[in-house]
Amino acid sequence: MIAGTPSPAGPPSLVGITFRRATTLGRFFLVYGTALSALLGVALNFSAGSAFPSSYPLILPIFASVGSMGGLAVFSSDRLKGTLEYLMAYGLTPRQLFVNFLVSSLALVSIVVGVGLGAGLGVYLARGHALTTGLAVALGLYTVPMSYAASAFATTVGMYWSALSSPRVGLNSPIGLAPFIGILPPVGTLLIVAGLGASGVTTSTVTFYSIGVAAMAFVAVFVVVLLAMIDRFLRHERLLSPA
Amino acid sequence: MAAGGSPPGLHATERGGGVSLSCESVSAGYLGARVLREITFDVDRPGIYVVLGPNGAGKTTLFRTLSGILRPYQGTVRIDGEPIDRPRARNRLHYLSHADGMPDGLTVREALRLYARVEGASPGDVDRVLDLLALREFADRFLSQLSAGQRKRASVARVFLQDRAIYLLDEPTANLDPKVAREIRSIILELGREKIVLYSSHNLFEAREIGRYVLALKDGRLALFDRLENLRGSHFVVGVRLLEPSEYVAGWAREGEYYLRELPGPEGVPALLRDLESHGVRLRELREMNNPLEDLFV
Repeated sequence: MIAGTPSPAGPPSLVGITFRRATTLGRFFLVYGTALSALLGVALNFSAGSAFPSSYPLILPIFASVGSMGGLAVFSSDRLKGTLEYLMAYGLTPRQLFVNFLVSSLALVSIVVGVGLGAGLGVYLARGHALTTGLAVALGLYTVPMSYAASAFATTVGMYWSALSSPRVGLNSPIGLAPFIGILPPVGTLLIVAGLGASGVTTSTVTFYSIGVAAMAFVAVFVVVLLAMIDRFLRHERLLSPA
Repeated sequence: MAAGGSPPGLHATERGGGVSLSCESVSAGYLGARVLREITFDVDRPGIYVVLGPNGAGKTTLFRTLSGILRPYQGTVRIDGEPIDRPRARNRLHYLSHADGMPDGLTVREALRLYARVEGASPGDVDRVLDLLALREFADRFLSQLSAGQRKRASVARVFLQDRAIYLLDEPTANLDPKVAREIRSIILELGREKIVLYSSHNLFEAREIGRYVLALKDGRLALFDRLENLRGSHFVVGVRLLEPSEYVAGWAREGEYYLRELPGPEGVPALLRDLESHGVRLRELREMNNPLEDLFV
């Protein structure tokens, strides 16, 4: 007999190792997103009139989305190399695989947001500013949840797109375009708010948060629906390596 | 037996003891396009079953369907009577895809540990397969740093992490250097003594060397299922290489250094040797030039 004996246990969680792989395969995105968010956080503190509290909460979700592309990078690599095929052969379902990559992306968001906020907010407080209620609400109600929402949107749409299209590489591939998908929720929110202001509709902080929360709720529902409908939309053959 | 059309509902059976793999009237493919049509066979005898066919015949699709990755449009795949989509059935087989399936971003050892976790094997099993496939020297290298052949070796290693009753090996020796390919062939040969091994290859000489049965696919249908020893080529061609030039063979067809002669069968070889000797032809080598498996690709 050559090999060991089989175990009746079901497939284990692969989130930990996928996260590690995402930090390796998506290191360019992670370094880029984290470094830029940290540098910008620091730089805004030294700009005229300290633009940090007014600008940074709006900008950080964009960098968080870019920095979390590692999960999608692992998905694309695994599909192309036949790793998804192998994992499905051993009992993992497409939904389990998608959730695995999604959770890894969200963990990467934590790094970008943690480092960016740590640097930016740290310098802001170190320069003698107080953490106002307005800033805390902006970070807690918009910046942090929108960072996760933007990443979840980019990763889920990117995985679907990657699975539904022929394998492509470079900037024209889903992984190349996903950062632009990721900025749609935060930029869309800002555009709607700006558009309302320009059209004469009164915009206030409450309006902004209402639109922001609505956008995040839409993204959350959208992602959950895509994950729930995965067996309907994505047959197994969509995840196989090219024959 | 040469390849021919696929009679609808062809039922080929090799009976014996142990586990059984049955494919009942299976049609499968991708996104609604049928690649496999009405495939029916049943195997329960240990041995190496060589799956052959030209490109596009459906070999990889057959492996994916047998392993439960592709759900058939019609028909069922069963292991010991249990449908392949049940975990108990799926846990009885190993599948090696034609792509290496190795997860980038990890070292060889880490990748094998990941697979060991997925399959329920132990770290000790990882050490054992590292030795079995001579992977120790690459164990701590990232997969991205390996050559295609080294990656393939690592991917073959995962098949041996656990003992299963059925092994589906899609081109396990592709991209390997001759030495490693030979080592893997010998491991597969050993597997085939106790297990059912379905194995595809484009190397017909290799297939003939290690296979006991042949499953030939043509246009998505099972064109042939038989013992390899029962296959007889439609023609039997030998090549002779000479020690020194001879006028006697000057008019024969040539392939490289070999002068070709078609014979009615292997039984014609002694007469050919006598004939050559009587004409003073000094032989360096005589070998069979065609492989009956080639006919399956026509």
